Amino acid sequence: MTQLIHPLRRHSRVLFILMPILGLALMFWPARTLRSDNFVFYLPDASHVLPLQTIGSASYLPLLQVLNTVGRVQGLTVAKDSLKVWFNDSQIELRQDNKRVRFNKEKINLSEPVRVQSGQFMVPLNFLETVLPRLIHESVVYRLGSRRIFIGDVKPGTFSFRLDQVPNGSRLTLEFSDKIKIRTASSNGKWVLYLGNKPVQPLEQKFNFQDPYLSNIQFDDQDGVPKLILTPTVDGLNFYPKIDDTGKIVTAELLKAQAAVAQQPAPPPPPQAPGAGTPSAVAPAPPETAASAGGLGLPMVVLDAGHGGDDSGARGGNGLLEKDLMAQLVARVRSTLLASGKYRVVLTRVGDVNLTLDQRAATANAARAKVFVTFHAGNLGVHTSRIVVYTLEAPSWPPSAGDAQVSGLFIPWGTVQLSQLRRSQQLARILQKEFTAISGATVSPPATAPLRELRSVNAAAVAVEIGSLAAEVDSTALTNSNFQAGIANAIVRALDEYEGGPS
Amino acid sequence: MTRRAGMIAIALLLVILGGGFVYLRVLTRRAKLESPEHGEEGARTQLREAALQSNTGALQTITLYFPSDDDGQLQSESRQIAWATSDTDRIRQVMLALIEGSYKGLRRPLPPTTELRAVFLTPDGTAYLDFSSNALAVFAPGIQSETLAIYSIVNSLAANIPSVLRVKILVQGQEVETLNGHADLGEIFVPDLTRNQPASP
Repeated sequence: MTQLIHPLRRHSRVLFILMPILGLALMFWPARTLRSDNFVFYLPDASHVLPLQTIGSASYLPLLQVLNTVGRVQGLTVAKDSLKVWFNDSQIELRQDNKRVRFNKEKINLSEPVRVQSGQFMVPLNFLETVLPRLIHESVVYRLGSRRIFIGDVKPGTFSFRLDQVPNGSRLTLEFSDKIKIRTASSNGKWVLYLGNKPVQPLEQKFNFQDPYLSNIQFDDQDGVPKLILTPTVDGLNFYPKIDDTGKIVTAELLKAQAAVAQQPAPPPPPQAPGAGTPSAVAPAPPETAASAGGLGLPMVVLDAGHGGDDSGARGGNGLLEKDLMAQLVARVRSTLLASGKYRVVLTRVGDVNLTLDQRAATANAARAKVFVTFHAGNLGVHTSRIVVYTLEAPSWPPSAGDAQVSGLFIPWGTVQLSQLRRSQQLARILQKEFTAISGATVSPPATAPLRELRSVNAAAVAVEIGSLAAEVDSTALTNSNFQAGIANAIVRALDEYEGGPS
Repeated sequence: MTRRAGMIAIALLLVILGGGFVYLRVLTRRAKLESPEHGEEGARTQLREAALQSNTGALQTITLYFPSDDDGQLQSESRQIAWATSDTDRIRQVMLALIEGSYKGLRRPLPPTTELRAVFLTPDGTAYLDFSSNALAVFAPGIQSETLAIYSIVNSLAANIPSVLRVKILVQGQEVETLNGHADLGEIFVPDLTRNQPASP
C-alpha cells in the first residue's frame, strides 16, 4: 500500500491540476452534445418537424422518426448495438459507431458513424442523400447544409432579394418564383414576414448586405412555416409590406415614422360624403399606407388599432378577434376623417402587426399629433354596444408622480401625457357627448384608467373601448356598419368641437 | 505491474472519480434549476397551508369589492372568515376570497386558476403581490376588466387590513409592463374609493 501511495504523493501537484480540468470538461460536455435544433420534412400533404441533434461536430436525426415520417416501418429487430429495419420491401441494417450501413445486400458508407442516444439510433444528415432515396423510391430534394428536405411531388418555391435606398428609409424587394400570400407580425423589435404555407427554399443560406436601416434578414422555417425575420437597426421604423397584382413581388418599405408623414400622397377619394349623416353600409377598404397627408397645415390625428399580430386581444363568442375588429373600425374612422377634408391622419399600425405600446406612442409623437385615439374592445358586461372613453389615470404613488414635470429641459418618457391631461379630459367629455347620439349605444361617463399606452403620448390622448367583446356575449352588434359609422361620425363632430374646431 | 503503471492507474482512477463527483454536483444543481414547476407547486402548497393554518383565528366580517357587471364600478360583498393573526396571512386570505369569486354573482376580478406565489408587506405599507404568469395568461384582456381587477384587489386589501396603504403587483417575481396589454403594472396603486359603488341603503 505504501508503495502505491508514495508515487501518488510525488505527483500530487500534477493531479491537482488535472482533476479540475477534467471536471470542467465533464461539466461542459452535456451542454455541447445536447444542443438541438429542428429539421423540416416537406411532403406533398404536410410538413413535419423533427428534432436535429448535434453529436460531436455533426448533425444527426433519429432514424425511426425519419422513416415513420416518410413512410411506415414494417418491422424492426434491435440487438445490443445494431438495428435491422424492414421498410418498403427493403431491409437496412445499422451498427452503433459504424459508418457502414447495409441496404439489402449493398453496403453504403455514411459520412459519420451511426450513434445511439437515449436508446434511439441516430443517423447523420448524409443519410438523407445516400440511403433515403433508395428506400422510398421517390424524388428527394435535399441541399447539403440546409435544414429542410422536399420529398415526392413537392416543388419548393424560391425567391431573390434586393435592397434599395429610398428617402428616409430602405425598400426590400422580394421576387418569388410562385404566387405567395404574406402576413406580418412583430416580436421583440423584429418584423416577421410569413411567406404562406407552401414550402420555400431560399437561394442563399445567408443574406449578405449592408443597409443603414436593416441589420439582418434571416430565413426560418424551423416550425414548418416559412418566414423571413427582419431585424431593424433602430427602433420606431414603420414597416409597409405590399404585394403586387401578380402575387409574386413583395415590396416592403422601412421608413422613419416622421418621414412617412411628410412623404405620403394626397388622401384617396372619399368613400362617403363629408360628415354624412347616413352611414355607409359598406366597410371602407383597409388603408394601404400608414399615413395620409391632406394638407400640411391641417391638424394631425393619430389613430391606433389596439393589438395586432400574435396579440389578438379579446375574443368574442363567435370567434371575433379584437385586433381585426379594431383594424376595421380604425379604417372607417380614418376614411371619415379624411373625407371631412379637415384633418390629416396617421395610423400606428397597418395590417396585422403587433407594435409595442411605446412604438405606438412614438408614432404619435413623431407625427406631432394634436389628437391620439386608441381603439379597444373588451368585456363591458352583458349589454352590448357599450362605449367607454378613458383618459390616463395619473399615478398616485409616489405623491409627486402625478404632477406634470415640465419645468426641466427633458420630460421623462413615462410622464409625457401628464402635461396634456387637461386637454385629454376635455376631448373625452366631448367624445362621450357625441357618442350618446349613436342610436342603440350605451355610453358610460368618461373614466380614467392606468393605461400604459397613453402615458408617453404628447397630445390630447384618449382610449375608446367598445363592448362587450367576450366569450360569453354575442358581440355581432359591434361589427354592425351603422354602429361603426356612428362612432366615426361622432369622432369627426367631436374633433370639430374640440378646442374650437380643427383650425 | 510496474511501479510506474500502478502510479498511472491510481492517477487515472482519482481523476475519473474527481471528475464524476463534479459532474454529479453540476447535474444535481441543474435538476434543481430546471424544475420551476416543483418550486412553484411548493410555493403554492406553502401558501395554502399558511392560509389554512391561520384559519384558527376569531371570526371576522370582511368586505370584498367585486367588479359589477354593467357600470364599471366595484360592488361590496361581506363575508365571514376565520381571520388570521399576521397581516401577510390576512392578505393571502383576502386574495383567496377574491380568487374564489363572489357569492352574489358579481364578476370575477381574477381567473379561478390564479396563483399567488408570494406576498410581502413592507414596513411603509406597500403590499407586494407576486402572481404566477400562467393564470394571468387566461385573464380576459380589456381596459375596464384590467382596471377593475386591480382596484378590486387594492380596495379590498386596504378596506380590511389597515397596514396596507398601497399595492404593487408582480408576475413571476418580476415587474411587468401591463396586466394583459392595458393596465400599467409599473405603477404602485393606492386605494381609489371613487371606484366603489355607494352602498345601497
